[in-house]
Amino acid sequence: MQSNITYSTFFEICLLLSVALPLASFIVSFAISEKYSWAVSITAPLLLLVSALSSSVVFFSLHDDQPFSIAWNWFVISGHPLTAGLLLNNLSATMLLVVTFISFLIHFYSIGYMAGDSSIRKYFAMLGLFTFSMLMIVLADNLLLLFVGWELVGFSSYMLIGHWKEKPAAARAAKKAFILNRIGDAGFLVGLMLLWTHQGSFALNQIGLTDAMAAWQTAASLCIFCGVVGKSAQFPLLTWLPDAMEGPTPVSALIHAATMVAAGVYLVIRTFALFTPIALDVVAVVGIITALIGAFAALGQYDIKKILAYSTISQLGLMVTALGAGASDAAFLHLFTHAFFKACLFLAAGAVIHALHHAQLQAHAHFDVQDVRNLGGLRKKLPVVFIVFILSGSSLAGLPFFSGFLSKDAILTALISWAGADFSWQWLVVGGAFTVTFLTVLYTFKMIWYIFFGSEKKTSELSISAPPAVMQVPLFTLALASLWIMVSWNPFVHTRWMNPAMEHSWSVTLFSIVWVIMALATAYFSREKSFYADVLFNAFYVDRLTDWMTKKIGLKVPAITITLDKKWIDGFIHATAYVQVLIAHVTGWIDRAFVDGTVNGMASFVRGVGSVTRTFQNGKIQLYIFWSIFTIIIFLIWTLL
Amino acid sequence: MTLTSFMFYFFEIVAALSAVALALSRNVFYGALLLIVCLLALAGIYVLAFAEFIAVTQILIYAGGILVVIIFGIMLTTKISEKPLAVEHTYLLSGILAAGGCFGLLIYVLSKEYFLTTGVQQLPSSPVNGIQTIGVSMFSKYVLPFEVAGILLLISLVGASVVASTIKSKKE
Amino acid sequence: MFPVEHFLFLAALLFSVGLLIIITKRNTIMVLLGIELLLNASNLNLVAFNQLWPASVDGQMFVLFVIIVAVCEAAVGLAIVLQVYQYYQTSVTDSISELKE
Repeated sequence: MQSNITYSTFFEICLLLSVALPLASFIVSFAISEKYSWAVSITAPLLLLVSALSSSVVFFSLHDDQPFSIAWNWFVISGHPLTAGLLLNNLSATMLLVVTFISFLIHFYSIGYMAGDSSIRKYFAMLGLFTFSMLMIVLADNLLLLFVGWELVGFSSYMLIGHWKEKPAAARAAKKAFILNRIGDAGFLVGLMLLWTHQGSFALNQIGLTDAMAAWQTAASLCIFCGVVGKSAQFPLLTWLPDAMEGPTPVSALIHAATMVAAGVYLVIRTFALFTPIALDVVAVVGIITALIGAFAALGQYDIKKILAYSTISQLGLMVTALGAGASDAAFLHLFTHAFFKACLFLAAGAVIHALHHAQLQAHAHFDVQDVRNLGGLRKKLPVVFIVFILSGSSLAGLPFFSGFLSKDAILTALISWAGADFSWQWLVVGGAFTVTFLTVLYTFKMIWYIFFGSEKKTSELSISAPPAVMQVPLFTLALASLWIMVSWNPFVHTRWMNPAMEHSWSVTLFSIVWVIMALATAYFSREKSFYADVLFNAFYVDRLTDWMTKKIGLKVPAITITLDKKWIDGFIHATAYVQVLIAHVTGWIDRAFVDGTVNGMASFVRGVGSVTRTFQNGKIQLYIFWSIFTIIIFLIWTLL
Repeated sequence: MTLTSFMFYFFEIVAALSAVALALSRNVFYGALLLIVCLLALAGIYVLAFAEFIAVTQILIYAGGILVVIIFGIMLTTKISEKPLAVEHTYLLSGILAAGGCFGLLIYVLSKEYFLTTGVQQLPSSPVNGIQTIGVSMFSKYVLPFEVAGILLLISLVGASVVASTIKSKKE
Repeated sequence: MFPVEHFLFLAALLFSVGLLIIITKRNTIMVLLGIELLLNASNLNLVAFNQLWPASVDGQMFVLFVIIVAVCEAAVGLAIVLQVYQYYQTSVTDSISELKE
């Protein structure tokens, strides 16, 4: 175990606590018996609270200080020792704090949201595992350990999306998420192999030390980006994310905010040194396509959670574009702010759904509570949720005085400076990014309009009660976290106290303020209009593309391999099988004739000897005497003569 | 042929004949009597071999003790089982084979070997001296075996009475 | 002193006859008599060889002990015979083959 000694034992204990407690929560939740399953909803948030507190200790004692690393020997493979360890720098410490903090809030929120669920133990256990595996991704100091966490995230998200497994749609969505993630992970694995062959190490702090921009590096980085595409729902593997809305809403919040989709972006930031310019261009193009698809698709949706899901895709696309532009700082800033306001939006949407669902159960009314067309005018009935929704939605839309504005500004500034003065295809990307920000404002405020303004539609006769306190506390906390304060003291300058080195230009800021106001105006005037189109609703049929990919290509390749299999491999196997059967027959005959024959012969010989000697043992004393005398005489004759 | 050598061969022939007759005998009671004859003849031989004390012991213990016990046994068993005293022969062939083999082998070995005809040491001057020697060595050199033999006798006496006495208890 | 061989021939005969009796007689008491013959044959040998060392009486002492053991054997043996009689109601050795089981 090697570790630098500049950090105190208290710091190490806090680090250990913040990582281990989610795992402890996972174990405890399963250890508690079914009878006391109510206890899980106390232990799990409590453990996560401690974890979040200790991670904040870690964050504040590490921030702007030198990185901390600790490593243990894991195993040795053909002379190459592999270590497993933690690597903490500003980036991972921030991420640690964000993950544990949001995970704690979601645990807390889940107490109210999941109350009365039949499999609450499994739910909290999987939340714990989810958080732990995300922390593993965040803190791992080498890609192999990171990959383990990566797969664990995939597994636990599968379990959580399919939490209501009795719903076929949920099961299907879980399956889809899992399979699409696997496609990406296959690429990731290939990237790992490439890295290993060329560099002989998985350690994150050794990546990119070779400054030769070799072709393998491009290939490896693109392969790793494949995993990112799967995990962060980039084009073309983005369709699992809207489907994942079938899971419980807190899970969606966790997936979108902190744990799952963020992992992809985080991975690129972590391995940024590996990416070559060509690879970065690919990343940028993929990102902007994703962002545009997500933004347009969000316009065409009517399901609250689907809108939010597509907005996540679009925001992730923006982050990836920023990464492609080489602005990993900006991307991370957006990831950071996005985690808070998106979690808040999801939890608020969950609060709406929860409240309406309960009201529905009481009134015995039946309509789709997630469809915004059925809602309206809820600002009077759910004022708390309304305020929270406005705050976090403004942040998403990028209004001034919100964190989203600053992070988006950072991305735009970075993109403009990346595109350069001359016109090139890069300006198309910049234009796309501006379009995306415009559309973001549009769909966000249309959604808010639909839900909270206007006249009540199907909800008018329902008596809706405010969400319980356990749900309100996380909402308000997160809503406050989406204010500009999170990023910098100045609401227009994103060069915050966390990362003062980023570039900033007032012209971009001013332009984006104007741009946002224009978008707001557009949103207001088109508030009654529907942007519904089949193309948008189906997200440009990306689903069909992936389907086509998986079905056409995915089935063609197996068909070819099957014929190959049948003709050659099976033929070979059959031939060897025939030979083996022949040999087996021959050996079987030898067995029977010689081996068995010997054994049987010996057995019958022994039986014969036994039956002969048995006649001596007949209990007749006189015969015993006779035989012993006889033996002695024979012995004497033998010796004397 | 002197009288002593005549006596010697007479006793030898008597012993051999009575033994063979014992083997041929079909009556237990006659068998016991023939054994007494054999043992007495042997006692005579012992006397001629300068072992007077052994001869006396032989007569006293064998003829007077063991044979009496055996005859008692015969009488008791026949009384119980109510069977004739006749004895059948079994395994005649194997018996003859074993005994003949043994006898032939012994004769062969003995006839091949050469034995001293006179004593290595001087003869004791008188028979009394011999008995005295036995007495002295019995209580000096052989005192431990002697005592052990006494214990053995005691044990066998007790054991025999215990084993035999259960008959009565069973009868009751 | 008589030749040792003559003693020995008689002992050999007695021994063989004893064996014959032991093996062939079906009555247990007859078997006991055969055993007495065997013992006497060995006694005869001891006495005969003791003649060669008249100063020591080791052979004769052995004979004495053999006689003692024979007494014991006869006593216990007859007791057992009686007991077996009581139990099996037979003195035929063949019938007593419980040892086989």
